[in-house]
Amino acid sequence: MANTLWFLIPELILLTGTVVCAIGGLSNKAAIRRNIGFIACVFLAASCISVPFVYTAEHVASSNSLMPNLGGYVKFFAALIGILLVMTSGGLMDRKYEHAIASGKDTFDTLRSSAGEYHALLLLSITGLMLICEASDLIWMFLALELVSLPTYVMVAMSRWAKVGQEAAMKYFFLGAISAGLMLYGFAFLYGATGTFEFHAMADAFADQNDAGGISTFGQIGLILALVGLCYKIAAAPMHLYAPDVYQGAASAVTAFLAFVPKAAGFIAIIMLLSLVGWEGGLPKSVEMMLWVVAVLTMILGNIGALLQTSTKRMLGYSSIAHSGYMLIGIIAGPPLGLIAVMVYLVIYGATNTAAFSTLACLQRNGESVDSLEDISGLVKRSPALAASFAISCGSLLGIPPLFGFWGKLMLFTVGVSAGQLPLVLVAAISSAISAWYYLRLIGLALLAPLTARSEQVSPVLRWPLIATILGAIIAVGGPVTLNALTTDASIAVHVSE
Amino acid sequence: MNALAALTELSKLCAMPAVDASAVIYASGMHWASFIMWMPLISLVLCGICAVYKVRSKAPAIITVVCLATSFVLTILLWHNYQGPEVIHVFDWLNITWEEGSFVANFAFYVDSLTLLWMLFVTGLGTLIAIYASEYMEHDIGKGYTRFFAGVSVFLFAMTCLVMGDNLLMLYLGWEGVGFASYWLIGYFYQRPSAVAAAKKAFIVNRIGDVGLALAIYLIWTTFGTVQYDEITSVLETHQYSASFGGWSVQAIPYLLMLAAFGKSAQLPLYVWLPDAMEGPTPVSALIHAATMVTAGVYLIIRTYPLFMLEGSHALEVVAWVGGLTAFFAATMAMAQYDIKRIMAYSTVSQLGYMFLGLGVVTSYGAAYHVFTHAFFKAVLFLTCGAIMHGFAGQLDLRRLSGLRKMRGWKIVSYTMLVGCLCLAGFPFTSGYFSKDAILAEAFVTQGTGFEFLGWLAIFTAGLTAYYTFRVWFRVCAGPVHFEPGDELHGEEPSNFHPHAPRFAINFVLVVIALGALLAALPYFMPNETEGLHGGWIAEMVNDSPAAAGVPGAVLDSAHGVNIGHEVAHGDILGMDPHKAMYYISAIVGFIGIGIAFFIHLLSRPTADKLRSTMLSNKATRWLPTAMENKWYIDEFYIAVIRSPLWILGKIFSLFDRYFIDGALVNGIAAIPRVIARWFSPLHNGAIQSYAISMFGGALLIALLMLFMPEILAFMQTLSPDTANEQTIATLGGGK
Repeated sequence: MANTLWFLIPELILLTGTVVCAIGGLSNKAAIRRNIGFIACVFLAASCISVPFVYTAEHVASSNSLMPNLGGYVKFFAALIGILLVMTSGGLMDRKYEHAIASGKDTFDTLRSSAGEYHALLLLSITGLMLICEASDLIWMFLALELVSLPTYVMVAMSRWAKVGQEAAMKYFFLGAISAGLMLYGFAFLYGATGTFEFHAMADAFADQNDAGGISTFGQIGLILALVGLCYKIAAAPMHLYAPDVYQGAASAVTAFLAFVPKAAGFIAIIMLLSLVGWEGGLPKSVEMMLWVVAVLTMILGNIGALLQTSTKRMLGYSSIAHSGYMLIGIIAGPPLGLIAVMVYLVIYGATNTAAFSTLACLQRNGESVDSLEDISGLVKRSPALAASFAISCGSLLGIPPLFGFWGKLMLFTVGVSAGQLPLVLVAAISSAISAWYYLRLIGLALLAPLTARSEQVSPVLRWPLIATILGAIIAVGGPVTLNALTTDASIAVHVSE
Repeated sequence: MNALAALTELSKLCAMPAVDASAVIYASGMHWASFIMWMPLISLVLCGICAVYKVRSKAPAIITVVCLATSFVLTILLWHNYQGPEVIHVFDWLNITWEEGSFVANFAFYVDSLTLLWMLFVTGLGTLIAIYASEYMEHDIGKGYTRFFAGVSVFLFAMTCLVMGDNLLMLYLGWEGVGFASYWLIGYFYQRPSAVAAAKKAFIVNRIGDVGLALAIYLIWTTFGTVQYDEITSVLETHQYSASFGGWSVQAIPYLLMLAAFGKSAQLPLYVWLPDAMEGPTPVSALIHAATMVTAGVYLIIRTYPLFMLEGSHALEVVAWVGGLTAFFAATMAMAQYDIKRIMAYSTVSQLGYMFLGLGVVTSYGAAYHVFTHAFFKAVLFLTCGAIMHGFAGQLDLRRLSGLRKMRGWKIVSYTMLVGCLCLAGFPFTSGYFSKDAILAEAFVTQGTGFEFLGWLAIFTAGLTAYYTFRVWFRVCAGPVHFEPGDELHGEEPSNFHPHAPRFAINFVLVVIALGALLAALPYFMPNETEGLHGGWIAEMVNDSPAAAGVPGAVLDSAHGVNIGHEVAHGDILGMDPHKAMYYISAIVGFIGIGIAFFIHLLSRPTADKLRSTMLSNKATRWLPTAMENKWYIDEFYIAVIRSPLWILGKIFSLFDRYFIDGALVNGIAAIPRVIARWFSPLHNGAIQSYAISMFGGALLIALLMLFMPEILAFMQTLSPDTANEQTIATLGGGK
């Protein structure tokens, strides 16, 4: 047990950060309140830095977890992208309120201030993401998954006090509850099939069943229900319906968060669940077929859905659905290469997708957040750096060759082909070609289109999201240099202990 | 599972160098030599900062000069420490390996003496010309000054990348980079439509060549399995330089490389962009379009020389013919121009033609030597033209300028120009004389289709060169003092116009480069350290490279098998040894050319006009001056045969695109998702209940799918007789 605690040091740091942020947000001193994001970043950075010290070879060797190195990779990049996400949220909470206090028009009231809570919830959700990797049984995994999701429901609600935000939060919560129910139902079946919640025992039970001719129908039903539940987290069909509504309803910074953290959590949970059933020998046909259908539907529905949108956020929302579909190819291709590709893609997607959303987070039209496609028309004339960074991150999401996204997609598609999933990769390639239509449209709007009467009023107001966008673009351009190291790390991360 | 081992192998690859060491020394990490490349990049960044802060001083020029000078000094150091071909690994760039092969193109330098030869004059002249430009461009301080020096920095960065890269992909990167820098700087005066058109022309024509390069790199990779120079050479060695492997692609590669070289180095039929490129500021013409960038094509072929020399390949003969014909035609065009900068531009095309002729007749030594001398004397010629243009408000017409050497403050310009002219004309004992002779003589030595004809053509062209060169000098610098200002008066009245004589920076650079042009003859007399080698220092520098086969007296191991009868059958010229006879022949031809120029452009200038009008009035000879003045109508020919049909085709495609693709297809296809979306839109109505229903419905569908899985699989079984599924069916059926 002491050993398990040792691996929770990054989480504990973040948990401390949660408390500090929550309390700091209520401080009387405006300086502390305003720098709450910075404090969150410090804790994230500390957590990130602690990872290499925690996951030393010596400690990992004594770990009894199923994938002992997974946490090292996930926690490191979760914290790193977490910093980017905090930067994206810079200026989101309490900006007008703090302004009013500073100019003496208003007084500070702890009940009306929410920046501290927001950052505390954000850190809590990332803590949940980190905790999943250390799960040793289904209960822990479920709790960790809910720790990821529960703060996000609140974040959606508090990010915009307008009705759309409330509506989005309600939808997100109820549908999330349904999916959690499905997942739990699946977990119950898994228990029924193996008689245990504990991962090692479960893996042994499944191995015995495999030796006896295949996993029992009970186990298969459990797996499939659990996976369907997890599809909600990764916004894959048929559980993707909430995504566009919720993504549009939430503030852009929160949308960026929703598009990465729960999705990463979902994929890690899927990888851990599937590695229980003896992946090396091939998944049960039914599970594979289910994943196949989900992947195809997700890619097609995501990309076609994005085509018709007039809202940038919905468009990017649908596109993030499609990205889940691409990553499912890696899951279907299986270990180790498919999983490596998924892990690498998650990082690439996380950085560039955040950059794309933080462009929107940075912009405001007459003090309101922007949404429609027209708002980004002629962005280059407002802020060349922002427009260029946005174009680069869209290009990376589309997969234009020298950019980071291309290499990620290339990996997914090649592992798909080498795993004999040619039809799947063909679907991915075609839907990826469809996605060019709307990504190029976004790039074209930002870089080439003229300013319209509406977009005249749009201006890049917030500084930190702007920096986040530029950082994301730098990652998209310079990232390929780190590809070798990233792949190496990912290959270590998905290594299953004997 | 036939897996993509790229992913798993990568971890191993990160640690070890990708190639096995044979004769090549490997250095790795952040070697100081990599700063030869980083310095221009640093300069670019600093210029960018200057641009952001709208610096209104000579700071960008100082930054650029200091950075380039550092590069030059580092290059000298690298040369000083040179001990043999060396690979300097800077960082991993593309490094992918899988079971059947690999694609390795790291950011690494391949430093052999050939690289150093190129780098020495690229960085050296780059520095000098940046100094020159600091004065030349000063009327643009605060406007385009920073942009100009940023462009020069980009160019130098790309050029170092091109020359120093250890693989073809880095060369390609640099190749595109210099093309971009060239576009940037030709279009420097972007307010002038002609400059913009020239920039576009240069870019587009270069693209044609670049296609060749891209295809060549691809074919080299598929044939040799690598794009690294040393590995290509070792693959060739293992196959004994025979063309028996690789099939057609080995034969096609040199032709594609040639296409690239002809585009970049302005050879027939792709030379048309270079004369127009003179729209750029003169330092650019001197640096990029005379001394350095346009020699990239020569460098490419020298670098890949073994590929041209495979058994049974006629590639070098094609190179020789294209080079010889270009030299001749460009010289005739230069004869009939009045704009001195354009004359120099055509002369550059013509001299580049000589270099390719040299490559074609297997004297990489002659070609490299001519590149080296040409870099100096053509730079000085362009820079003097620039000084004149600068001082006379844009006047470049040789009919409107005369007697410069007698004017105050123009002596240095006149005499440095004389030095350049002497070298270009191949006046005995100047550098151009020796380097050109090396090429001319070899045309008679080497056996090849029509090489002897090409040799005579080149000798004739040498006479033309002497003529048009001294036509410029006798017109502009000699004779009675007379001048008319050009049209860039900057507010001065034409009546009280005074020429602005160049000041220190320009004069200093002119003197240094002119001295360089004179001293470039010295390498010819330097003793060789390598036994049996002729041709002095340049030969020494080329001898270490893949192009050693074209160095006189080089000791060739079987590795560099020469398949064109070079050393075997030694040809002659009029019964004499070409190497010796050429001293006299080219001197005589040069004197004749200079003599004619002296007579009709200095002694009795009206004769020239009379000659022209006589030729024009005679029906039999009218075509010659007309065609020459109109540059043989090549531009018009291209417009009629290539540009107009493409334009019409473009219009047709545009209409097709608008009415068929966009109209019928895209809108049609785009309607499909809309229709589908309409089916599902009742579900996607924003109501939470219907979302929940859809989710459950989806889950139910998946559950049903699973329930009927054995039946579905059995059905699929009937479609494809693949027995592998039987096991699964049995499993699933049994599990139920």
